[in-house]
Order: sequence, then C-alpha cells, then structure tokens
Amino acid sequence: MNALIAVIIGAAVVYLAYTRYARRIDRNVIQSDPRRATPAVLYMDGVDFMPTNRNILFGYHFKSIAAAGPIVGAIVAASLWGWLPAFIWLVVGVSFMGWASDYSAIVLSVRNDGNSLSAVAHRLISPRTRTILFLFIFFYLLLIAGAFVGIMAQTLDAQPRTHLGMILLVLMGLLLGQMLYRWRVGLLPATIVAVGITFLAILAGPLTEGFFQGFNGFFNSLTGGAPIVTYFDPTLAGFKGAEAEIMPSLLFWAVAISVFCYAGSVLPIWRMAQPVVYVGFWITATAMLLGLAGASLGTLIKPEVAAFQIPAFKGWNPQLGPAGVMPLWPMLFVTIACGAISGWHSLFGSVGTARQIESESDMLPIGAGAMFAEFLLGLLALLAVTVGAKGGSPVATFASGLGGFISVFGLRGEYAESLAFAAFIVIVLVVTQLIFRIMRVTLTEWLGELVPPLRNQHVASFISVVLAILLVMTGTWIYLWQLFGGANQLMAALSLLLVTIWLASQGKNWAFAGVPTLFMYFTTVGSILVTAYNLYYNVYVPNAAAGRAVPAIGSALMIIVALLLVAAALLIGVDGARAFLKYSRRTGRAAEAAPARG
Amino acid sequence: MASLAALKDFLYGLTGYEFARHALETRRELETLFIAATLGDLVGVPVMPPIFSLRLLPYVVPEIAKWKREMARNKELWEREELDLHGI
Repeated sequence: MNALIAVIIGAAVVYLAYTRYARRIDRNVIQSDPRRATPAVLYMDGVDFMPTNRNILFGYHFKSIAAAGPIVGAIVAASLWGWLPAFIWLVVGVSFMGWASDYSAIVLSVRNDGNSLSAVAHRLISPRTRTILFLFIFFYLLLIAGAFVGIMAQTLDAQPRTHLGMILLVLMGLLLGQMLYRWRVGLLPATIVAVGITFLAILAGPLTEGFFQGFNGFFNSLTGGAPIVTYFDPTLAGFKGAEAEIMPSLLFWAVAISVFCYAGSVLPIWRMAQPVVYVGFWITATAMLLGLAGASLGTLIKPEVAAFQIPAFKGWNPQLGPAGVMPLWPMLFVTIACGAISGWHSLFGSVGTARQIESESDMLPIGAGAMFAEFLLGLLALLAVTVGAKGGSPVATFASGLGGFISVFGLRGEYAESLAFAAFIVIVLVVTQLIFRIMRVTLTEWLGELVPPLRNQHVASFISVVLAILLVMTGTWIYLWQLFGGANQLMAALSLLLVTIWLASQGKNWAFAGVPTLFMYFTTVGSILVTAYNLYYNVYVPNAAAGRAVPAIGSALMIIVALLLVAAALLIGVDGARAFLKYSRRTGRAAEAAPARG
Repeated sequence: MASLAALKDFLYGLTGYEFARHALETRRELETLFIAATLGDLVGVPVMPPIFSLRLLPYVVPEIAKWKREMARNKELWEREELDLHGI
C-alpha cells in the first residue's frame, strides 16, 4: 500500500457513493424538484435568504465545513489503532453517513421554510430539545477550545520555527482588515500583500529557530528550569503513561493564544477574526493542495516520501495509560469526526447554506459534494501521518509526512516541513478564535438572564478563556478531543434523528437516515462513557492521589461535562423515539385509510 | 469555458464571497437602524420629530417588507454570530 493507491481507492469510493447511492436517495426518497420554490427564492431579503449560484455556494459551504477536525482526528486515530481502521472508517463513514447527514440537514431546512435544526426540533420533538441543544453547543465548544489550545501550545512550544509565521499571520490579518474595510484597497492587491508576507515569514521560520529557542529558554529560566505543574499524562511513553511537566514557556504560549482568541472574541468581526481566517485559508489551502498532489505524484517521482511507515493495525484495544481502555468501537468513530461525519456541518448547513439554495437540484451537489471533498482532506491528513517517518508527537509525524509530500515539488525538506507545521497551526488557530467568540455569545445567551455580569462581553470571554486554560492544564488533550468528538457526533446523530422523524412524518422511507442515527447514537453515548472512565482512572485518580490540584480539578470538570452530555443525549433519545413512533403510527394509519377513501 | 466559469465561481465562493456577505450584513444593520430612527415614533419611541420622519418615509417604504420579515423571524444564536466564517 502506498499513498497513490489510497488516493485512488478514496476517489473511486467517493465517486461510487455519490453516483450510485446519494443520487438515488435524492431522486427516489427526497424527490428534489427544481420547479419547487426554495426559501431563498420565497423569502429573499438580499442577505440571509439569497438565491446563490451553486458553484459559489459549493465553495462557500466547503470552506465553512472544512477545518481542523478531519486533520486532528485522523492523526490521533492512526496513532492509536493504525492507519487501516482509520481509512476504513473514513471511507465507510462518508459513504453511508457523512454525506447523508450534511445533505439531509440542508433538505430538512429547505423543506421547512429555512428553519434551523433547533426550530424544527422544537416543533417535531419537544420544546426542551432546543434547550438541550444549547447545553450541547456550549460544552462542545469548551471541549474543543481546551483541546485546540492545548495542541497549539504544545506545538508552538516544541517548534520555535513556527513562531515568526504565526506572529506575522496575526499582524497581516489586522493589516488586511484595515486595508479592505478602511483604506478600501481591492481584495486582490490586499491578498497579495498580506498572504505573500505571511508565506515569506513561514518559510523563513527555520532561519529564526535559534532566536525563538532563546525566547522559550528565557521564560523557562524564570523558574530556574522548574515546571509550573507536574501531572500524570497517560498518553506519553508510547501510551503507557509517564510524569509530564508544564513549563513556563508552554504556559506562555497557552496564554498568548488565549489573548489572541480573546481579542478575536471581543473585537468587531471585520477587524480581526474575518481577515485572519482569510489569510489562514490561503496558507492551509496551499499546503493541502500541494500535499494532495504530492501524495499522488510522490509514488512515481519520490517513492520514499509516499511509503507507509506505521503499521496498518495496532490492535483492537490499545493500552492508553495504566488503567485506560481504548476499544476500537466506539472510540475510533468519535476520534475521527469531521472527515467521516460531523454534527457541526448539519448545524451550519441548516442555517447558513440552506437559505441560499437557489434550486432543490443544488442540494445534493452542495451538501453531499462538499462532504465528500472534506473526506479527501481527512484522507490527506491520514496519509501524511501514515508516511511521516519522524517519531515524537502525532503532530510532528503529520508535519513530517505532509512536508515530505510538499517536498516532491522541489521545496527543501526543512522549509516544506515548516510550511506543513504552519498549515496545521494556522487551521487550528483561526478556528479557535471563532470558538471563543461563539462561546462568549452562548454563555451570555444561556446564563445572561440569571447572571447579569455575563452579558458583558469581556466577562463572558474571560470566563471562557479561563475554563479552557484549566482544561489545558490537565495536559490530556486526547481525552478532550475524544469528548469533543463524542459531542460532535452526538449532534450529528441528533440531526439525523430529526431527519428520520421528519421523513416518517412525511410517509417517506427513512432508512437512509434512521440506520446511521441508531449507529451514531449508541456509538457516541458509549464513547463518552468510556472517556469518562478513562479520565477517572487515568487522570483523576493518579493526580488526586499525588495531591496535584490543577489536573485533578480539570479532569473532574471533564467527567462532569461527559455525564451531562450523556444525560442530555438520553433525554433527546427518549423524546425522539416518542416523536418517531407518533409520526410513524399516524402515517401508517393514513396509508391504511387511503384505499378505503379511494 | 463553462468549466472555467464554474472554477471561477468556486474560487469566489472560497475567498471573496464572505466579504461580500459581511458587507451586506453591515448594510442591513445600518438600514435597520435607519428604519428604527425613522419609524420609531410609530411604535412609541419618539426618536425623531414626525416631520423629518415623513420626509424620509419614501426612502424607507421599499425596505419595510424585508425589515418586517427580518424583525419577525426567530433567530438562533448561531446565525447571529458569524459561524459561516469557518467550520470545525
């Protein structure tokens, strides 16, 4: 097996799933009709409801759903179980569940006057489903914020060559916003300046490595080389677990990232968040496109960069820490989220994209097409970590692999790797600043009435940042990631459940959404319980026994969040099952009564 | 040629479209403010003396239908905060 074969298999599966399965569902079950007016046409307001060309909307939707999820998930899964289970889940997940989830969320909204998932849930299931969705979203965001800040802080601390690029990314984002919205510079020249300078800074990273190493050294010397927090990390020493330390330099980077995200949360969107996302998009897109092309060509031109380095299968239940369990089912299916199926896509698709659909015939190419394109991103991440020869952290292995693919085009290894590291950090960084922004709003919306100070954006942002840093200090971002994956996939299950109930209420065949609903529901609830177990025995117990307050409190917080998620899922499951039975019986009776009337 | 045009549209969707949308959203916010200032006294908020409101009314009338729909629609929090910028 090599990268080219994997790309060919992936592309073939995508083609077959789209043409043989997705199209058939669109034609026979949903019966999309280009003559039926969509909400974008019916309620056109020039902003939210706006009929948009399908190609533009495809690009917009793809960019909105493709981010760090498929990359981080594939890296972790390949490290834990080997590349083959991750590859199979990516392929099977996207072919039978991922596209169905994204596409059907858009269909549901288009056929329900452009209403969002929660509004439809309120009507079809029960009013409390909407409240539970709030809870989901807040904890989902908290978990991913903790996981992402932790990953980025560790990567920045360990890779001084990435610092210059990241600093310039932020500065160029600010400059781009100023150029576009204040100085009225055209998008093309502003892009050339901002993206060009950021690229140069990233490529110059290896030249400034020594300087930033000294920078980290300075912070560590403040405590005389002593760590700030010591904790037991079950993910170290080949997943056997070992003592780990949080050094002042790592805390500095965690705080620096938080300050950046805080600014992204409270400043006007045009000033920072939007332009930084835009500059970051070009960096990541360039690295990913070069990587995908390099993965395909590398087999022919430079075989050593495309040969698989890690085992295909590492075991059904790899040992993670002294007392941990990591069974392939259910954990693999939440570790890899976005490349196979993601609840976030449904949430976004039902409000952002569905209201811009010009014709019902566009729903499939946009909803399913963008999901299949994101699968390719997940596949590239998996290939990169599979061919990455460098040991160490999974992120370093990924950067080594992606750098190898990029080096096929003649860029020297260290510079290609620098670009790969930057692409990874950028894609995580730009998403994290938005997460804090949304967390701030969710917190205000959720608790603002009860606790009036939370209506202040600075208070809400500060609390969000502090909570995320507390989770980072537990040091176990893999568990955070898996809890996030559980919440994310549970949201996908909820979206599919809604679609199933809606299809039942319409008397349509609901199997294409109903079967994935059952699988994702039980898988995600199981995975959250397994993660809570791991957190208790692998993180809470050893750290509490050693009297380490910070990781013990952080892990206890994560366990509480996990149990809340399970409780919310059970409530939604019970309400959903009741609603499904109600609508199924009603349509069944209607079907029986119809011949008699005729 | 059709493929080139499709590619161009796709790239626009990936890059410039979000700025265009943000500009439209900003304009709508200003229009909402303008309508509130102009028609405020009709709903009991005397923002501006009626004589000026009457003079501005012709500019407001074409926007009233859209404004009414926008105001009446139940909005979720994740459509108010620019979630469309990037996914996760």
